[in-house]
Amino acid sequence: MEVGGEEFAIGVVISAKTTLGEEFEGQIVAFDRPSNLLVIHEGVGRAERGERRNVRVLKANYIREFSVVSKGDDPLDPAGCMLDLDAIYAREEAALRQAEIDAERIGVGVTPEAQSIFDALSKTLPVQWDKTDIVVMKEVRVRSPYMPENVSGGTAAANERVKKVIDFERKRLHARVPGLS
Amino acid sequence: MMSHQQHMAPPSRGSVNGFPHRKLEKESSGRHDNKTNLVRSSSGGLSGAENGIILGHGSHSRDRLIYVLTQLIGHHVDVHVKNGSIISGIFHATNSDKDFGVVLKMAQVIKDGSPKGQRYAADIIKKPETMILPARELVQVFAKDVALGGDELPKGPGHDKRKDLLIDSAISRPHYLEERELERWAPDEGDSECIELEKYDRKGNRSWDQFETNAALFGVKSTFNEEIYTTKLERGPHMRELEKHASRIAREIEGEDTKDIHLAEERGLFLGDDLDHDEEIKYSAVRRDTDNSKYKSFTNVPSSTHHVGSFNRTVNIDPKDSLACSSTMGEESSSYTFDNTDSSAITQARNVSQPKFDDPSNKPFSVGENRLDKKLSKDNNENLDNRKLQPENNQLSAGVRPLISEGLDGPPSSSQPSSSGQGFKSPETPDSTISVKPSVMEPMTSSRRPGSSTSSTSERIAANSVASTPGLSPSSSIGSLTSEKSTLNPNAKEFKLNPNAKSFTPSVSLRPPNPPASDASYYYPNNMPAAPLGPGLPVGMTFPPAYGGQPVMYNPQPGTPPQGYMHPAGPQVRKLYL
Repeated sequence: MEVGGEEFAIGVVISAKTTLGEEFEGQIVAFDRPSNLLVIHEGVGRAERGERRNVRVLKANYIREFSVVSKGDDPLDPAGCMLDLDAIYAREEAALRQAEIDAERIGVGVTPEAQSIFDALSKTLPVQWDKTDIVVMKEVRVRSPYMPENVSGGTAAANERVKKVIDFERKRLHARVPGLS
Repeated sequence: MMSHQQHMAPPSRGSVNGFPHRKLEKESSGRHDNKTNLVRSSSGGLSGAENGIILGHGSHSRDRLIYVLTQLIGHHVDVHVKNGSIISGIFHATNSDKDFGVVLKMAQVIKDGSPKGQRYAADIIKKPETMILPARELVQVFAKDVALGGDELPKGPGHDKRKDLLIDSAISRPHYLEERELERWAPDEGDSECIELEKYDRKGNRSWDQFETNAALFGVKSTFNEEIYTTKLERGPHMRELEKHASRIAREIEGEDTKDIHLAEERGLFLGDDLDHDEEIKYSAVRRDTDNSKYKSFTNVPSSTHHVGSFNRTVNIDPKDSLACSSTMGEESSSYTFDNTDSSAITQARNVSQPKFDDPSNKPFSVGENRLDKKLSKDNNENLDNRKLQPENNQLSAGVRPLISEGLDGPPSSSQPSSSGQGFKSPETPDSTISVKPSVMEPMTSSRRPGSSTSSTSERIAANSVASTPGLSPSSSIGSLTSEKSTLNPNAKEFKLNPNAKSFTPSVSLRPPNPPASDASYYYPNNMPAAPLGPGLPVGMTFPPAYGGQPVMYNPQPGTPPQGYMHPAGPQVRKLYL
């Protein structure tokens, strides 16, 4: 299909190094000269329907060196390249939704230690971030540095419970990662 | 979600930070016509690549690139940029017009290549945001697990399940709050034939016959034959009369008074505002009232199946006199129980029925009878087998003889029981020939509660036991089961007031608000807990908790004399009918 003679021919399996120090190997799926973008997928041969491969879209000018490993057939089926836009957008929506959920679990501007305490708490309690405070069950607040004495609010029972959990989790973290303060 | 769009640009996605949202859009650019065609052909969704991929020079490669990039949408990708940083996010768009800059959503710098960034990256985590990475910065886009061969074939409407399992917490999260302006639905242009579902003409008949339409459109003929499902109507010269007769009966039934709150509500009768009647009592399908549940325990289920035939035989004779039957039944059952030693349940029944009669002026009883009367009168022309004695009938006190004589002459129902006081007529075979188990006979169906079919058996049985006189001698005429109007059993022992009978005082604690016993619990076990139930109740009379508080009077002493069964502690089997 493509112009022959070019090193980046479709189907060719190359092994390359980038200027950023990354090394990889894969089969050329596409090469767009005007934009100098090379599309490579790991694994040789045509991907079946539903088969998943890792894909790279690499700007060819960042390839420091490469070598041809083998030559193969076109990994894309020209007649079979169909794009199900609905599915694609649905996938994107789902991914975004999930990412939002995950993002809420990450505290912004908090230390990794705080984050691990949050993660530990979230295993058994509903927790949210409020700036750098952890809010448990929407009523108990844990401020930095997230020690049991920093627990405030909520009913006495809830408060106690959070204190205990924090205490326990801290101990666990210390046992696992002695360096963690 | 999105219909097939030729131009692959999602609608209404707005722009990102001013960066026009240009996901592989082609038409809009207008610059590369060959690309337009290409896009069209390659973006045919699942409908197949109707291809004629018209390519210009070099557009082949661009096609492929675009194909791959489009497949990346929605995937998590790592973008490497010039300065060594790596940004991770969800691939959202690329500028295919120009040089393929990349737009990522929910992106974060996971590795900061800049000298400044190195110091803080480990400490600070930033919130994900949408990032645009210009082409000049771009080094590489790396995505894992991309199905370049196309995704698996969708399995029909539900095929999105792998990605789109929306759990509630995901949906309810307050994100993406896009409040939509709701518009009233208007039919599309092509839908001229909007057949409304509720199109009625003047007379209130629908002008559209679905069966006609179905037959016309699809040649489907309806094979419905009403007679398969219901009694064949004899449409003859007498049709008119029969109809009138039927509607008269219907009116009578529907208009009559009832104590049952459900029926009352249906008929529009106001029973008085009982504050205890919350919605559950009023509208639940579960019957919690004490009426029928009592009777369950009385049933001698095992035997019930046997003598139906014989019983019915007698009864059928005069269907009109249902009233008599009911009372008879009670008697019969009582007498029957005496005969039948194995029926502890029946014994119970007997016992139960007794207390009531101790007090002839016992109101509940008459009330019960009343209802009984009414019910019986309804069952005119049928061999009713669904009898439902009102609970009040239960209240037969020990020693009561012909119950019938007492209350049956009470408030007349729509059909006057022609109570021949003492005489049950004809068909009665006055003796124990009626081996019919009391539970069995049900010539009269009390159609009070239409929906009671499930519990009918129990009711029947209960009815039997209750019906009337506890103190009947074995030889009391069972034959009175016939539909005599008279509710008196000529052979029944005369009622004698028992001055020792304890008068029943309803006790609050005995109120049975419990859930009704399961229908299955007909058979009342012999081992009753002996704990006294409350004031006024003799030891031994308890409401078995297992039965949800059915006020079943179970007397655990089977050996008591038949005559006026008197509980040693006094005829206290009061029906705790509160």
